[in-house]
Amino acid sequence: MDLKNELQKIVGAGNVLDSPEILEEYSTDNGIYPPGMPTVVVKAGKSEDVAKVINLANKNSTPVIPVSSGVHFQGCTIPYQGGIVLDLSNLNKILEIDPPNRRVRIEPGVTWGQITDELAKENIRVISPLLPHADRSVITDYLEREAPVVPKYEFAEPLMTYEIVWPNGEVFRTGSASVPGYPDSPAKGTNPAGPGLDFYRLPQGAQGTMGVINWANLKLEYLPKINKIFFMPFEDINAAIEPIYKIPRVHIGQEFFLLNHVDLALILAKQWPDDYDRLSDILPSWTLILTISGPPRRPEERIEYEKEALFDLKKQYFQDMPILEALPGVPGGGRELIHMLRKPWPKEEVYWKNRLSGACQSLFFIARPEDAPSFYEKVVDEAPKYGYPLEDLGVYLQPIEQSRVCHLEFNMFYDPDDPIEREKIRIMNRELAQDLLDMGAIFTRPYGDLADMVYEKATSYTTALKRVKKMFDPNNIMNPGRLCF
Amino acid sequence: MTIPQAAYKVLEAIVGPDYISQDPIDCEAHTPGPNGFETDLGVATILKSPGCVIFPSTTEEVQKIVKTCNRYKVPFIPISTQWWSGRGAAKVEDALMIDLKRMDQCDIDDKHMFAVVGSGLIYSQLQEEAMKRGLYTTIPGGGSQVGVVANHILYGSSPLNYRTCIANRRILGVEWVLPDGEILRLGSCALDKDDYLWGEGIGPDLRGMIRGFSPGWMGSMGIVTKMSVKLVPFQPDKPMPVGISPDTAVELPLKRINWYNFILPSKDALVKAMYEIANAEIGAGLTKVPLFWRAIAKANNKEEFWELWDQESEETVAAMNVLRVLLIGFTSEKQLEYEERVLQDIIVKDLGGKQTRTKPTDESWVKNADSASMWMMCGGYTSLEFDFEAISHAVAKGVDCSKLKKGYTPPLMKAYGDQGWFQVGDYGHLALFEFLTYQDPDDEQKHKVDEWSVALSKMNIENRYYTAQLASHKPLFLTGPAYGPDYHKWMIRFKEEFDPDALSNPPGPADTDLFIQEAEWMQKVKDWPAPKIEANKNPKFE
Amino acid sequence: MPEEYVKFDLTDMKNFEYDMKRCVRCKGCKWVDHIYMPGATYSTRCPSEKRYLFDSFSAWGRLRLALSLLNGRIEFNDRFVEAIYKCQLCGACDAGCKRNLDLEIGSALESLRIKCVADGFGPMPEHKAIAEKIEKEHNVFGGPADNRDKWAKGIQTDDKAEFVYFVGCYGSYKMQGIPKATANILKATGQSFKIMGSDEYCCGYPLYSTGQIEKAKKAAQHNIDTIAKSGAKTVITACAECYKTLKVDYPKMFNKSTSDMGYQVIHLVEFVADQMEKGTIKFKNNIDMRVTYHDACNLARMSEPWVYWEGKRKLYGITEPTAPRRKGTHGVYHQPRNILKAIPGIDYVDMIRIRENAWCCGAGGGVAEAFPEFAQWSAEERLEEVDEVGAAALITACPRCKDNFSKAINASGDNIKVMDIAEMINEAIK
Ligand SMILES: Cc1cc2nc3c(=O)[nH]c(=O)nc-3n(C[C@H](O)[C@H](O)[C@H](O)COP(=O)(O)OP(=O)(O)OC[C@H]3O[C@@H](n4cnc5c(N)ncnc54)[C@H](O)[C@@H]3O)c2cc1C
Ligand code: SF4
Ligand code: SF4
Repeated sequence: MDLKNELQKIVGAGNVLDSPEILEEYSTDNGIYPPGMPTVVVKAGKSEDVAKVINLANKNSTPVIPVSSGVHFQGCTIPYQGGIVLDLSNLNKILEIDPPNRRVRIEPGVTWGQITDELAKENIRVISPLLPHADRSVITDYLEREAPVVPKYEFAEPLMTYEIVWPNGEVFRTGSASVPGYPDSPAKGTNPAGPGLDFYRLPQGAQGTMGVINWANLKLEYLPKINKIFFMPFEDINAAIEPIYKIPRVHIGQEFFLLNHVDLALILAKQWPDDYDRLSDILPSWTLILTISGPPRRPEERIEYEKEALFDLKKQYFQDMPILEALPGVPGGGRELIHMLRKPWPKEEVYWKNRLSGACQSLFFIARPEDAPSFYEKVVDEAPKYGYPLEDLGVYLQPIEQSRVCHLEFNMFYDPDDPIEREKIRIMNRELAQDLLDMGAIFTRPYGDLADMVYEKATSYTTALKRVKKMFDPNNIMNPGRLCF
Repeated sequence: MTIPQAAYKVLEAIVGPDYISQDPIDCEAHTPGPNGFETDLGVATILKSPGCVIFPSTTEEVQKIVKTCNRYKVPFIPISTQWWSGRGAAKVEDALMIDLKRMDQCDIDDKHMFAVVGSGLIYSQLQEEAMKRGLYTTIPGGGSQVGVVANHILYGSSPLNYRTCIANRRILGVEWVLPDGEILRLGSCALDKDDYLWGEGIGPDLRGMIRGFSPGWMGSMGIVTKMSVKLVPFQPDKPMPVGISPDTAVELPLKRINWYNFILPSKDALVKAMYEIANAEIGAGLTKVPLFWRAIAKANNKEEFWELWDQESEETVAAMNVLRVLLIGFTSEKQLEYEERVLQDIIVKDLGGKQTRTKPTDESWVKNADSASMWMMCGGYTSLEFDFEAISHAVAKGVDCSKLKKGYTPPLMKAYGDQGWFQVGDYGHLALFEFLTYQDPDDEQKHKVDEWSVALSKMNIENRYYTAQLASHKPLFLTGPAYGPDYHKWMIRFKEEFDPDALSNPPGPADTDLFIQEAEWMQKVKDWPAPKIEANKNPKFE
Repeated sequence: MPEEYVKFDLTDMKNFEYDMKRCVRCKGCKWVDHIYMPGATYSTRCPSEKRYLFDSFSAWGRLRLALSLLNGRIEFNDRFVEAIYKCQLCGACDAGCKRNLDLEIGSALESLRIKCVADGFGPMPEHKAIAEKIEKEHNVFGGPADNRDKWAKGIQTDDKAEFVYFVGCYGSYKMQGIPKATANILKATGQSFKIMGSDEYCCGYPLYSTGQIEKAKKAAQHNIDTIAKSGAKTVITACAECYKTLKVDYPKMFNKSTSDMGYQVIHLVEFVADQMEKGTIKFKNNIDMRVTYHDACNLARMSEPWVYWEGKRKLYGITEPTAPRRKGTHGVYHQPRNILKAIPGIDYVDMIRIRENAWCCGAGGGVAEAFPEFAQWSAEERLEEVDEVGAAALITACPRCKDNFSKAINASGDNIKVMDIAEMINEAIK
């Protein structure tokens, strides 16, 4: 029996798609990388399908490329070696909301758009990365270790436990969800650790190479009702660094991050392109954005002492730094950002990163905040060599875990329909990455072209990783060609 | 009992003659027991004296030692402080004990809040260094004398986990000598061996493979030589030590840090308080301790303890719903005042609790943790059941453990139905549960403690509880099929891939299986299928 | 456990089998009290374990070895004997252990030495040599017994005094500045005293601490008899070793309690602190110096009175009647510090490891005699600590400590000044 037939037996004929148009659709994404054609697309209808598809793929040594989100930017779902695209977007149930234990269990197809509204009804939320695309899968964003926009927690890992189909076809539940009979058990799945080993981080940053998640438990936090937002403008990125270290360290605030004028204008602009043009002109070069919010009990009092502490810090360390409650020249002072930050980017609008030119290549890595200025300098020095206009360079610095490190991101905008420009961006992305890597940038999730250069540098890790991968994926069926596999 | 002499010569050349010995006296002294953590239980019957002891001082030496072990097929076991003494011992004859105490590096990056530590460094050392810099780490219940590296690998549970969660969250860069002697660096040191800033990836993250839940590999997956661990921001006023032994404590800067004790009208109210406090995102520690700890704290010696404890009854124990809350004004003194108000709202106003007096000091948790005093009352102590799961899970399990315990008391110390220790972690997303039991190590019925240990595993499986007591502490082939399922297969596959000759602390992770196989008195409880375990081979599952 | 009858009698190691068996390897005997843990350095308390690393050189390891000896798992050999004697018997382990548990670590170690000698494997040759000197001339140096009170020439003593000043070998023969200063201080306060002259025998510390209990008992009996004959009720000493031997070890050797001895032992610092309270001593001299104080083990954590006990040990190790436990809480800690702080001009600073957590000078337990290099190593570590706190002078309250530190300083050329507290007080009252 051929592959298609067997797949149809698993998911039903309607869910096995191989028309040229569909295959074409899955052959590419919103990024800089060239297309690659899948053999077939399978839409999983229930989680049991997943293991069956993977077992079949193992039998046939066929690649499987799991896809959860409706939108992709980094090329990691492009099937370069053909095979089965396993589309999980129909696995989109919110399986459990458990407010007392502050957890939600969802399937991989659940998107930010879907979950945010649902949880808001109960005044709870999953803390998101900065303005995610409404169609992005919540699970995959955190599997891919996007940085949460709230750095106040001592550790930034919202993903707790999951059911995974390992590449060898074995179904496994991680952490405390591994108890017999879960979820019909006193164990709720809130402990990621174990069983036996700590499996939970293995599929993270794996770009689908380490298995397919059927569902996951994520942490919930309260959705604050009372909020304040503050803007700290800087002309020089160097001046922003000390506040970046000092403010979250004394437990002030919720959302906290630094944007340059380009990224901030892209986010704040209402009328396109007029607002953007005006805002990118008048906004300060850098703006540090901080929200202070009240928890469910005595919210005003909490806001009050945090605010007071913020101004004490200013008095003590950065007297010259303005702390503004509104951004001058911006309609509404930019205050609506508070509400924007608690939701994905509105579906009806072009995604903020795509507003300027239609597409965006983000180059990001982990770094010490204090090194951000020199990384920035480097990009500023190099970008013009590729003909990239500096006035279009977006920069986003997201402190992680009270600024022990930061996620530093350079956004390079381009026209996706212009193959030459796209190729130029690809080259620039690759070469800049090499420069930054040499300077000490920590690329923990190297996509596309970056994988080779990063793994080459990490030889012992690469060797061990390949040994582990072979154990879990003896036939190398899961998204082959990614990372170092 | 020695290792091959050719191997000894090579090893001696690696570290120098002062740092190695095969003298039977030195080997005997390095053999834990007869008392200690688990060394008074049945599992001790499989423990052996090492054939040689060595003290490396650098990663390079560790690597050479492990490679030598591979060349001459010498089984080895790493130890940090050997506090987990039942496990810090070889289970095969003629093993090399690699004592890592000389590797006591402690380099702190204040700004990025991490410490790069060697295996010989213990918690009180790290805590002091951290607090000098306005940072802190969490002292595990296992005590301040616990090795920081080993504890981050093995467990890492502390009442201060309320905000920081268990230690697996706090591992960053790692330098690890694999069982075959290859060096593997994780996180940012994978890219630059001297940069210990970060722990993730590259790509899939292998940090979980060095540890486990719980207690993980127990030395059977090579040796972690260096690790960077997260520190977290504290408040600016350092708690200062006061008193003379045995009554020493740190004096708390009360405007910034304070313990509060409350008695709640019922257990339900106590549980509700835990949820509410966590939901309000206040606090830095939240714990309900077993009642006998209060008696330990009051007593000057075991005789006094027994005088106090003998006065208790099922009723008095059930009525004592004591909640201890630690508040820290990380932001300012006003934060502490604010949190006090919220605490009063929750406990006193909403739940009818009463505040009782507390000392302005901290004896255990902030800097010190008195785990050794656990042995004070009975001479023997074991913790055969603990986990992290939802608060409600801890509460339910406490009831079941307490019921099950009745059948094993004595030899277990009577606890009048005490339902264990629970403390909240990760801001209420979970709670530690620990059910501590005590016995006289010379009790004639003490084999029943081994049976109790297996009964707990069966109870967990039957009632679908999570547990941190999996391999290598409970039978791998009983718990393995139940959890995951088949987590044991992955452990065995890892062993086969990275340690095919079973040199790293064999027969981990099947130590307990070996003991049960060998112990005649365990046969009546062993009713699950298991392959034959050989002490010097990896277990097989098919 | 089956009920057993036990005694605090050190000549039978079995009396301490419980303590050996119940060690849990928590290493409270190794680390500074965690509450006082000063950080990544100066963090341990046991010189032996730090210097030699092997568990055989730690309290827990020696307990295991002692137990294995009792069980017949091992026998004495050279390595075992070396491990037994490369230990200062400084008591740091005992105090550390008793912070949490009820184990008699110090006594178990002493008992092991006694057994080692009884079985013909100990002590070390150097200890035997000293024993011969003591037997012959009643002092550790082998100097003529008649020279014992040479230092006291011209010093006024009073045969009817209530106080007998027990000078000790080091004061009598080697460091006479200390007894002279002591006598001066007593005189300045108007306290009359007598000395025992050549009837004062070595206190016996070098014998008792090395396990030569029978010889130690002889010396002890002689001194006990002499004190009794003298009619004095109070024995004052300026030597920490003599202090602890007379106060603690004498009753211990004879299965008695300190309170049964018929005399009270005080150290000069206790006397002076008392006089300060009464206002009978005045520090007139300004001494401009940053100084620190070294807690001599025998005056500090090991100096609590000995209480003999015998009784039952029952289930859970419960004792009946309740066994007394000396935890090192009531050592002579505050008096010397208060004295130094009261001297005008002195800038007093504590070291990092103090009181019950102090690091031994290295001389005790027969180490200075048998393993001088180890004794020096230990002293050097302590002197580093003196440097660390920026003190110019190190004050001791024991001639043995002063001697050991002085040797280390001579060898290293360090410029730290070492003084006995008697000398310092004497300077201040001049
Ligand atoms: C009474 C008691 C109570 C405890 N309570 C708690 C608690 O509340 N919370 C908590 O977190 N923990 C607790 N523990 C356990 C404690 O975490 C462990 O003792 C500790 O983590 C291990 O550190 P160690 O220095 O004792 O390691 P060791 O005893 O030296 O080693 C333990 C194991 O780890 C292996 N190992 C040691 N070092 C390395 C290394 N560098 N690389 C690889 N393997 C290594 C050894 O082979 C051994 O199997 C408790 C322990 C005891 C005895
Ligand atoms: S402190 Fe006592 S119980 Fe602990 S290891 Fe030392 S001797 Fe053993
Ligand atoms: S007496 Fe001193 S040197 Fe000897 S084991 Fe105890 S602490 Fe160490």
